[in-house]
Parts: sequence; C-alpha cells; structure tokens
Amino acid sequence: MSLESSPEEPVPVRTVSRALADYIARLGAIWMDGQVAEFRYRQGMRFQYFTLRDTDVEMSLSVRVDAAALGRLDPPLTEGQRVLVWAKPDFYAARGSLSMIAREVRTVGLGALLAELARLRDLLAAEGLFAADRKRPLPFLPRRVGLICGRNSAAMQDVLANARDRWPSVEFEIREVAVQGPQAVSAVTSALTELDAVSDVDVIIVTRGGGSVEDLLPFSNETMVRAAAACTTPIVSAIGHEQDAPLLDLVADLRASTPTDAAKRVVPSLVEQSALVDGLYARALRVLSHRLDSEVQTMDHGVARARSIVLSRLDAAATDVMHLQARVRVLSPAATLERGYAIVLNDQGAIVRDAEQVATDSLLDIRLAQGRMSARREG
Amino acid sequence: MASAPKDSIPVEELTYEQARDELAGIVATLESGGLTLEKSLDLWERGEALAAHCRTWLDAARTRIADTIDDGEEDEAE
Repeated sequence: MSLESSPEEPVPVRTVSRALADYIARLGAIWMDGQVAEFRYRQGMRFQYFTLRDTDVEMSLSVRVDAAALGRLDPPLTEGQRVLVWAKPDFYAARGSLSMIAREVRTVGLGALLAELARLRDLLAAEGLFAADRKRPLPFLPRRVGLICGRNSAAMQDVLANARDRWPSVEFEIREVAVQGPQAVSAVTSALTELDAVSDVDVIIVTRGGGSVEDLLPFSNETMVRAAAACTTPIVSAIGHEQDAPLLDLVADLRASTPTDAAKRVVPSLVEQSALVDGLYARALRVLSHRLDSEVQTMDHGVARARSIVLSRLDAAATDVMHLQARVRVLSPAATLERGYAIVLNDQGAIVRDAEQVATDSLLDIRLAQGRMSARREG
Repeated sequence: MASAPKDSIPVEELTYEQARDELAGIVATLESGGLTLEKSLDLWERGEALAAHCRTWLDAARTRIADTIDDGEEDEAE
C-alpha cells in the first residue's frame, strides 16, 4: 500500500515512520553472512552493538545483540571476523534509525571459510576464469606501472626499489589501500578497476606481504577475482609468501612469488638491455666493416685491373709510335744522311744544288744525320 | 728544331691522339712517294718531333700511374 500525498495534502512524519516500520518488519528474521567491522565490547551492558559489513561491497548494517548471546562465542567476537547472524530488522521510529536485532551470532570457522574458498575456486575454474589462454602477455616496457599495495608497506618498498633498480626511469601509479580486514576487498577491487581505466598504465601489480590465511582471504574473494578477470590491463599478483596461493594468483596474468619478483617481471633490466644493444651494435659493426673490407678489396682489385689495362695500352701505343717513327726514318732522307751525306739549304730554306746560287758571306743551313749546323760561304 | 710547316699546329699543343694520327699521316704520305727532298725532309723532322711528343706523353702517363700506385701503397701502409 503506497501512501497518497501531494503538496496540498502532505503526510505527517508519524505516518511515514509507521509505513517504514511496516515495510521493514515484513523482511522478517534472516540469516546474514558478513564481517564484523566495528565492535567494542561494553562491559556489563545488556545489549552489545557491532557493525556488520558486507563481505564484498561497502554496505553495512548496525547490529544489536544480547550480551548473553555473544557470551557463548568462543573465541569471543572480534573485529574483522566473518560471522553468520540470525537477525530481524527493527525500525526505531523515534529516531528513524534501523538496526538488526540479532538472536544468534555464529563465527565462521577457518574450515568453513576454506571450504567456501575451494567451492568458489572450482566454480570460477569451471567458468574458465583461470584458463591459460586468457593470460595476457606483459608489456616489454610499460609506460606506467600500476601498484596496489598496503599503506607504506614493505611490499611497496620492495617493488619500487627493485623496479627502479632495473629500469631507473620507470613510472608508477600507486594506490595504497587496505590489504586486510573488511575494507580490503572493496578497496583493492575499486583500485583495480580504477587503474585498469588509466590509459597509460600498461600493467598492474597487486601485492601484500605475508599474513595468516584469514589475512589473505580478501584476495580469494569472488568480487575481487571477477574484477581482476574483467581488467584489460595485465595483472601481476604477488600476495603473501611463496606458498600462499589466493585465487587472485590464479586469475592474474602472472603470478610472482614475491614483490621483488613482481618488480623484476614488469620492467626490463637497463643494464641487460644496453648490453644486448651494445652486443647487437658490435655485431652490426663487424658485419659492416667486413662488408666494407670486401668492398675495398673488390675496388682494389678493380683498380689493379684498370692499371694493368692502361699500362698495356701504353706499351702498345709506345710500340706503335716506335714503328711509325722507324717508318718515317726509312722513308725520309735520314737513311742517306746516315751514310754520311749532308744536305745544304740556303737562307730561304731551299736545298742548294748549284754553288753558283750561293753568294759569298751568305748563311747556309747544313743538315746532318744527327743535328744541323749553320755556315757562311767564304770561297 | 723542326721548321714546322706554316699551317700546322706546334707539336707541343697537340694531344697524344692528334700527334699520333699526324705521325701516321706523315708515314702514309712518305710511303706514297713522289715527294721533293725538301718536302720529305720537312715531313721527316715533323715526324721525329711528333714521335718525341708522343713518347713524352706516354712516359708521363706511365709516371702518373706509378705515382698512384705509390700513393696507393702509402695508404695501405698507414
């Protein structure tokens, strides 16, 4: 039955409160599964109060329970404990507050928790969330590394130190969150989703130090594991010690045994890479210089051949000239002169055949086999 | 030395090919015969000069190559 109301015919608070009380009462008694978020035992009080928080999301209810009912719990109720609560909702109209009146509170034993974890693991495995072909390869050199870790935790220091040691210019996007207790699941899950959305975060490390099974339980929580599975950014999980294996390890793209190991997996080693590059460079240089050597050799060979060709042509030419010269000599007066004759030419360069033609004191040009002379007629 | 015929180019200015071809021409002219003694004397002297010019040029060419070989060896020796 919904209340009719309008600005003209408003409904008094008492009517609204009674309606609320009525709706709420309809829920009836119910078994709830949750975690004890805040609880301070109040000595000698008939009623005890604690906040019951959802195991996965940021939702809580306040619970009132008889001290006696709590008294039966062994070990006594403590914050962070997983509990089952049988309670009925109660709307306290006077102040409009709601609380769950618990008739019974049971702590969930470790065995029960582990059994639930195993059931969850089989379920998720059946869905293929842990399948090998889902695993994404890690980027060789991430632009930024997402890091989800405990506040100022040793794990965080390990990851930062080791990554920077390997690749000094690595950049991080850090989310220091609760990695234990009731807030852990929602804190880590929202950090995961948030970092996954950051475009230049190319890999996300989720890490925390060692702890009890209970401490690590949040990292086997279904909501967190599904959130991790939904991420498009590769995830490296480094939770607890070597032997711990929360479900997050199974869904992550890479399981690192320790925070240090995680750091080593996400960034290459500058020293190794530069050695590699130097090696490649040296090899390239060797290949190049070898190639150059052979080129030079070929060229030398070429030059040598060119030289021999030219030289042989020069020889041929020299021989050719010698032949021509010899021919000229044979066909010219040279042969006659060789026998001792001389040719006399007058000052006009004409050959003198008749002494009469030559005036005394005029110059004469006398050609011999070797060279020539000038002379003057006297007699 | 040779009294170069008026219309011909001084031997020094000829290229090797020009000198050699002119020399070959002179041989051909002498071989055809029928020349006056003066003409054959002049041709003979021109021929000698051309031959000398050609040989000088060939020797120079040979030296240039020898130099490059030396240069080459110097490079390799460095």
